[in-house]
Amino acid sequence: MTDSRIKILISFLLITAITVMKHWYLPISISLLCIVLAAKLKVIRDYGKKLRFPLVLALFIFVTQGFTYGVNAVNLGIVSVYSEGIEYGFLIFSRVFASASILLLLVITTSENELLESMRYFGVPKTMLEISSFMARYIKTFSSEGKKLKLAQKSRCGFPKNAGFKKKMHSLASISGALITRAFARSEEVYRAMLSRGWKQDLRYSIDCHPLNKRDLILGIILSSGIFVLLGLDRLVW
Amino acid sequence: MHISDGILEPKWILFWFVISAIFISLGLRIINKRIAADPAYLPRISLIGAVVFVISVWHIPVPVTGSSSHPVGTPLAAIIIGPFATVVISAIALFFQAFVGHGGLTTIGANTFSMGIVGTFSGYLVYRLLKNISPLWFSAGMAGFVGSILTYLTTALELALSLNPGNVMHYWKLYAMGFIPTQLPLCIAEFAFTGYVIKYISETKPEVVAPADVCLDRFTKTALGLMILITSLLAIGAYIGYLGGGNMAGTDSTVEALAAPGAISNGIGVRLMARIGEPIGFGSVGIIGGLITGYFWSVARRKS
Repeated sequence: MTDSRIKILISFLLITAITVMKHWYLPISISLLCIVLAAKLKVIRDYGKKLRFPLVLALFIFVTQGFTYGVNAVNLGIVSVYSEGIEYGFLIFSRVFASASILLLLVITTSENELLESMRYFGVPKTMLEISSFMARYIKTFSSEGKKLKLAQKSRCGFPKNAGFKKKMHSLASISGALITRAFARSEEVYRAMLSRGWKQDLRYSIDCHPLNKRDLILGIILSSGIFVLLGLDRLVW
Repeated sequence: MHISDGILEPKWILFWFVISAIFISLGLRIINKRIAADPAYLPRISLIGAVVFVISVWHIPVPVTGSSSHPVGTPLAAIIIGPFATVVISAIALFFQAFVGHGGLTTIGANTFSMGIVGTFSGYLVYRLLKNISPLWFSAGMAGFVGSILTYLTTALELALSLNPGNVMHYWKLYAMGFIPTQLPLCIAEFAFTGYVIKYISETKPEVVAPADVCLDRFTKTALGLMILITSLLAIGAYIGYLGGGNMAGTDSTVEALAAPGAISNGIGVRLMARIGEPIGFGSVGIIGGLITGYFWSVARRKS
């Protein structure tokens, strides 16, 4: 099992490398590789669903660039597109596809706690980490609580099918407001629980992290070098 | 609308990271001070941040289009926990959201700027301005509306600056127009949603809707004030020069004549500005200059 710190570092380096690539060949190849990996990990459905959001924006940029950017117009009958715009738009599209694929595969293969733990290693401020840990813990709690509130309101005719915008919004806002006031009240209980477990203000996260083992370190160096080779290929070969 | 990885050019990724980092560090400074005075603030801000995150991914009904979409949520958070704390919370939320396909790792800076800084501060400013002259639900609703619309306009500007640096104004309009069919109805929905939520909270637990971190210390106030002043002066100078027919000649001539009369034409400053581009260069100079001036100004005042 690879150390999550190496996974995050390599993913970040690879995404940055993709961002500076000048040709679409490598990003598209990386995207295809990610699709194969997602299929192998049996997460293709989840992967495809999450990929929808970035691809919509990438498509919007592709269309905008294609129709407006450049000087060499290509007549398609009813409309004209620009070859430079199509080329640039497709490059952006391929970069988004590859970057989002890498990020999604990272999160599929790494737990939330591992990610937060790694952030400590990368020097993220302690207060931010403490807030992040609380948020990660309570997002799930409030999400399920919100679902219960919605269900309860639905059973009390809060969301009838024929309800107008105003009624629907009023119902949803009541649930949201209730959830916020609950969070406010619960934070007092959480604070009391923290105190009862010996929490003190100066008792924060330890800054010591276990060192990377030799195997992970070598893997990290090899993969980082591979990323630089890919960049070299993009710049020099094509 | 979150910008994904792979869209922005590296220099813009870095630029938005630096700007956001300044605001995040100011937010952390304020949060740490509050925690020192009231340790219960840590779980409070975190839990409310978690709830606002959950609410912001719920789909709300959108008028006119008949569909549904999720609200920005930062104006709502700013009203409850204050604008600076919201910047920190939104940066964390954007980090989590990046892992579910909304946004990205390299674009956290740009997304924090549009949602967490512009959306938050504009919404909060509108709320504070209208609070005393209009009903609470209306001022909160307007905060949601303005915060939401400015978030999308800033996202459009970020795209135009990075993707089409040669024709920024034209592409800013184009991207903004592209967003309008989906985002304008969503801004109206955000108006209703924020207004209703704040009305509900003020009726059931009014102490929640209280300004949390508006009491800035002298350094933050001076630094922020001077940052805005210097950036505005540079922008006005540049714009006047632009109107005069030159390419940002207003600040160029002033700097050449007054600030650096003996500057070498191919010196590091000129080369750096040519490399990173004038909009980023002048913006960075204004912001960094404001912060440094603010710091020394505070120190000098304290000594005197």
